[in-house]
Amino acid sequence: MTFFRSAAEWVDVLPSSIAIRESQYLYAGLLTGHVIGMCVFVGLIVMMDLRLIGVGNRRTTFTQIQRRLFPWQMFGMTLSTASGLLLVYADPLRFYDNIYFWIKVVMMVLAGVNALAFHLLTYRTVDAWDGRTMTPFGAKLAGAMSLVLWAGVVVSGRLIAYNWFARR
Amino acid sequence: MEAMSLLPLFEWVEGTGLSVAIRGSFWVFAFVQALHLVTLTLLAGSILIVDLRLLGRGITRQPVKVLAQDAQPWLMAALVGMLLTGMPQLVSNATKEYNSPFFRSKMAFLFLALLFTFTLRRQVTLADVERVKPVWRTVVGLVSIALWLGVAVSGRLIGLFS
Repeated sequence: MTFFRSAAEWVDVLPSSIAIRESQYLYAGLLTGHVIGMCVFVGLIVMMDLRLIGVGNRRTTFTQIQRRLFPWQMFGMTLSTASGLLLVYADPLRFYDNIYFWIKVVMMVLAGVNALAFHLLTYRTVDAWDGRTMTPFGAKLAGAMSLVLWAGVVVSGRLIAYNWFARR
Repeated sequence: MEAMSLLPLFEWVEGTGLSVAIRGSFWVFAFVQALHLVTLTLLAGSILIVDLRLLGRGITRQPVKVLAQDAQPWLMAALVGMLLTGMPQLVSNATKEYNSPFFRSKMAFLFLALLFTFTLRRQVTLADVERVKPVWRTVVGLVSIALWLGVAVSGRLIGLFS
């Protein structure tokens, strides 16, 4: 693990890293872009998950929601990922040493696994339940997990700034 | 701009027991703020799913009216949630926010966004398709996104430039 911390230490003193870290406007811009990306990405994921668990957007079929919102979800994800990577690049040690950052990363990975599992399993039978308000258990589980995990990502992301018990 | 200053009111709020209690606990403020962000995603989704449709994008097979009606309860719940999680933050940080230009711009944008959402936008999204000229749907979609972006960006900047 100290190899990775050394890598973070190496980036931390790069002129470009310091430049971003110390530029008030650019840093604020990255944080703002990150939140906007979050609103678009997580916001549209939430709309989709509400349909998956069968409580929201019920008059629209799941496949319609998924297919038509996907490009916009990807736009949000791109914005948040790009700004997020630059934020970490600008202050690598701070994030490396912060437990909430790693909790956030783990939750994002789990959210990805959840989405993949749904796509490979329950989604295969979508034609059978697409129009139905009452979705199968697999869909409800995937939707609920997604909501919980992305809420966890947002909460842990916010807690990074607070730092208590964060030092590793 | 103001006939009388609201500063004394904000100062009074900050002196109340509730304000002191929230400020006294790191956890309370931080978690309330984190919940504010989670609720924000619900607000953003319920607004955007309709605004995208107004702009002719997103779930185009559905009429705007259907998407708007289905999103409505979630939009309302999100707005209530934002108020419930926003108030404790304001109460515990009253004078700092009073002095923040971004808090003021956020409140201005919020007022305009709520007014717009519950008047013109409501009429356009719930009307039957034939009765609304496409240009109005586009204008409403763009104005809605712009106003809510104003709220969100201002909100983010309060903490960064105080």
